[in-house]
Amino acid sequence: MTVGSWRLKIKHQTGFTYAGAVAGSYNEARMSPRNDARQAVLEARVEVWPSARTYRYEDYWGTVVTAFDLHEPHESLRVTASSTVETLGPGDQLTPTDGIGWAELRGPESRDRWYELLLPTPRTALDEELVELAESVRAARPTPHAAAMALCEQVRDEVAYTSGATGVQTDAVQAWRQRKGVCQDISHLVVGLLRSIGVPARYVSGYLHPVPDAGIGESIVGQSHAWVEWWVGRWTAFDPTNGVPVGERHVVVGRGREYGDVPPLKGVYAGPANTGQGVEVTITRLR
Amino acid sequence: MLSRIAESLYWIGRYVERAEDSARILDVHLHRMLADPWVDETTACRSLLGVMGVGPLEQPLTVARVIGVLGLDEENPSSVVGALAAARENARGARETISADMWECLNSTWHGLPGARRRAEEQGVHAFFRWVRERCAVMAGLTDATMSRDEGWLFLVLGRSVERVDMTARLLSTHERAGGSIPSWLTLLRSCGAWETFLRTYRGSLDDRHSAEFLLLDRLFPRSVFAALSRAEGCLTELEPYGGPGQSGRTGVATDAQRIIGRARTGLEFRAADELIGDLGAVLAGLERTCSQVNDAVSRRYFRQTSAVAWVPGAVA
Amino acid sequence: MADLFEDYRLGPGWDEMFGAPGMPRETYEALHATLQPLSSAELRIRAEVLARAFLDQGITFALKGVEGPFPLDIVPRIIAASEWRVVEAGVAQRVRALEAFLADIYGAGQVLADGVVPRRVVVTSAHFHREAAGISPHNGVRIHVAGVDLVRDEEGAFRVLEDNVRVPSGVSYVMENRRAMAHVLPEVFAATRIQPVESYPGQLLRALRAAAPIGITDPTVVVLTPGVHNSAYFEHALLAREMGVELVEGRDLVCVGNEVAMRTTGGEQRVDVIYRRIDDEFLDPVHFRADSVIGVAGLLNAARAGRVTIANAVGNGVADDKLLYSYVPDLIRYYLNEEPTLSNVETHRLEDPDVLEHVLDRLDRLVCKPVDGSGGAGIVIGSQASDSELAELRARITADPRGWIAQREVALSMVPTLIGNRLRARHVDLRPFAVNDGQRVTVLPGGLTRVALPEGALVVNSSQGGGSKDTWILAEPPSELSPVDLSTGIEPIDPDDSGLAVLPPVTTPRSPDPGPGAGSVAEQQQQQQQSAQDARVGAGASAC
Repeated sequence: MTVGSWRLKIKHQTGFTYAGAVAGSYNEARMSPRNDARQAVLEARVEVWPSARTYRYEDYWGTVVTAFDLHEPHESLRVTASSTVETLGPGDQLTPTDGIGWAELRGPESRDRWYELLLPTPRTALDEELVELAESVRAARPTPHAAAMALCEQVRDEVAYTSGATGVQTDAVQAWRQRKGVCQDISHLVVGLLRSIGVPARYVSGYLHPVPDAGIGESIVGQSHAWVEWWVGRWTAFDPTNGVPVGERHVVVGRGREYGDVPPLKGVYAGPANTGQGVEVTITRLR
Repeated sequence: MLSRIAESLYWIGRYVERAEDSARILDVHLHRMLADPWVDETTACRSLLGVMGVGPLEQPLTVARVIGVLGLDEENPSSVVGALAAARENARGARETISADMWECLNSTWHGLPGARRRAEEQGVHAFFRWVRERCAVMAGLTDATMSRDEGWLFLVLGRSVERVDMTARLLSTHERAGGSIPSWLTLLRSCGAWETFLRTYRGSLDDRHSAEFLLLDRLFPRSVFAALSRAEGCLTELEPYGGPGQSGRTGVATDAQRIIGRARTGLEFRAADELIGDLGAVLAGLERTCSQVNDAVSRRYFRQTSAVAWVPGAVA
Repeated sequence: MADLFEDYRLGPGWDEMFGAPGMPRETYEALHATLQPLSSAELRIRAEVLARAFLDQGITFALKGVEGPFPLDIVPRIIAASEWRVVEAGVAQRVRALEAFLADIYGAGQVLADGVVPRRVVVTSAHFHREAAGISPHNGVRIHVAGVDLVRDEEGAFRVLEDNVRVPSGVSYVMENRRAMAHVLPEVFAATRIQPVESYPGQLLRALRAAAPIGITDPTVVVLTPGVHNSAYFEHALLAREMGVELVEGRDLVCVGNEVAMRTTGGEQRVDVIYRRIDDEFLDPVHFRADSVIGVAGLLNAARAGRVTIANAVGNGVADDKLLYSYVPDLIRYYLNEEPTLSNVETHRLEDPDVLEHVLDRLDRLVCKPVDGSGGAGIVIGSQASDSELAELRARITADPRGWIAQREVALSMVPTLIGNRLRARHVDLRPFAVNDGQRVTVLPGGLTRVALPEGALVVNSSQGGGSKDTWILAEPPSELSPVDLSTGIEPIDPDDSGLAVLPPVTTPRSPDPGPGAGSVAEQQQQQQQSAQDARVGAGASAC
């Protein structure tokens, strides 16, 4: 299998619109792709309107954060992140019999090493029904990796991708009960299920180019996206929403325990209610 | 100096002065009401409440009721007890700025209130007001003796002076409102602690004109309106050492507060005494307005943004 | 005259004053000899003066919203210089180890990789704040102030009960207790050489200034308080006043582009170091509780950018988590390559099912503590708990073993304490305060001795209705002073007095200038006779 390599240009616009003038606000944007084994960042910048001085740092999870504060009255806030990233294809995939076995995964060494990624978090905690589901899937599979792939499939089969069905606060159990959700909910469900059977798992936030054989130079409305990674002796990435391995179409921005560790834009402000937030992602394949 | 602390000091000045002046006003008026069989209790009570800015109350208006509202109501920062409690509350937040002596004085006064009230029940309300005046005098003395003459001092004295203008104007109004019959000038002068000085100054000629002139215009007596206005003006000037907006302070004054208070002061200084006394009602009403405008102007200039901000979280996927 | 020590009985713990009934230990001989001749009524009166002084000065502790005095017992607690050297070294050692631990886990995490502390212990700690990762104070100090709680066990040995490296409070009582005692019992002071405690604000200020961001030579330090309604507000104000710095509330500060400033009457003034007395959770609404109205938005990132120093650092709570406490001896060996100078109290970790079972069988003989509780909240002393309390405890521990530790019940040492009109043995603990300026860890010679006033009570926390004692660390070399005869008053103490020095000649000072008319007794008497209204002015100053 040949390893594809794409060059993607991403423009991500987001922000808040308020019901009136806001006196001040403090915000953090997690919208900058980072360098890692699968992707090289050629250019990344974050711009803010009304204009403000920005401060960049790397957080506990290794995500690049752009922090800024505004002190002049404003009625809306726009944040634009632009980046150019080279990505690699999915590479070699594990087969159902690959990866470490249950015994090793449950050994004290691996448990301690990944303890943080085995604990439930507010959005990934499960109810009894889901714990049982995970356990039944685990019991029927030879390896942790095979169980993980089966869980992805199961969630994808049961939960219909429905834009707008949920919000940023929705947790895994709510999404499961309504059998509807977006990539964030599907990823939370998979992460929660994996952890409940002892597979270290993390939530990945980033971008996806929606067209597998996209033409070069063509700008397409993309989306900010979420998927999962699990550890079976090595980290394995999978996109359960689309049922595909993570490859040249995926650009990683941040990894954490759940959405709450990697929100694209969050902050506090003093003033009237936030009435709207438009998100627009444009992706262009450059190469 | 922190804006919040400056505000607290200003209000300590105002509240302590308010407690003292209210105690003085109540003491003489109540004494007069009880001592003079010809005074109509209801009318006198209504007049007193009106002057102190308390809205109409349900009948019956009795002396005990007035003492309750203007003297002992803890919830009302315009009552004697309420003002002392409010002064202590402000001092609590400014404790590292005022001297330990000042804090201990306000704090022990506050702790002494229940005991003082009990004594008031036993020995009469006069003993209570006397105690309040003494405590305020101790506070004034300790403030004088232990506080550096820095910015904090200026805010405290500014507050005290503004309150004094306001309270002396109200005191004069009690006379004005009652058509000059109650209370007598003698009572008014006594309540300001001005009786002896007045006698020495005017050689015993007690008439309306002289009494009003003295309380309104005397340059030397520290509780006169004019003296208090001048003091407040002096504080404001010192707070703006670089003067007005003109070239390095060569013209004008720097702040609204200075303009307001300066106009009020000159309004007293450069009008003939007869003219002022003849128009006393309007003059006093004008002074009360001046105090409230100065208060606003000072707050805008020095105490901006002293309250906490309520933050609202927001997030976008 | 009733003897103060009449029917004083030694209690179940190590008695600090008496080695045997009626036989005071050497350190307490002078105190004992001074107290003995006092009648209980005399001591009671002085105790009341003490209480009144505290109330007037506003030295109070707000318990459940009600402001009350934090009673200071009139009998001080005395520690010999040699014993103190051990405490001093042991506390400083702990602070150094915990500093290294914090730098490690908010940085590379080597201690976790090396398996000295399980990752589990750290990542499940409620006070492990990932938001603080990557914030690296430039002088390396995160624990500017530590309060390490110690007890003396049945053998009289000091042991560590818990570490406090978030916002330890109580040092104001150390200073105020000393001042008040000096007023009320001057004769006892005269009989003993005590190490002074008033240097604390100076030490703290030095440490805070040393922690200033790079390039700031004359930093502006402030104390950040939640406000006047906080139970420790008195302490915040005292420290600010004695350090000569501003006491600010969150609303006084504003953070613009990572620069922190306070709002003053003359505009905004830059702030470099913030000694905060606000918990992490309320400190910065951007990263922690957004509904906090006592914090300062943007503060954490300003610290991250190195533009302001927050003292103590954010996230220190992971180091005083009570489960982590059980690993501190290992941390001392790991980071410092030293043996712990002070022992822990034997502690069971309950996550191991076997240990849990063992502990659940013995709940009535152990002390169980919630790992992130403070102020003595939630502690269950098995021997004093009812069956239903034990049953509830069992259920709570079973549901959350990570949330609890179990310790041997130590019979805390006891010091005579004025109860009613008699002295009685009561349990005490000790919180010494340590200040780290980046060069060295200084332990204040003294500390807060808290005393459990109800008979037999073992929880001595101030928020549990305890009292305190002035804590005297004897100066070296041991004083050979004999007790003072009360009838002759105070014996002057000159620390430099070698006994041989020739006194310089003393000139008799001139008396103050007399005013006119002063001095004629006859004139005064006549005036008095003439005066119909005798308004006599009291001689004493008005007491307030």
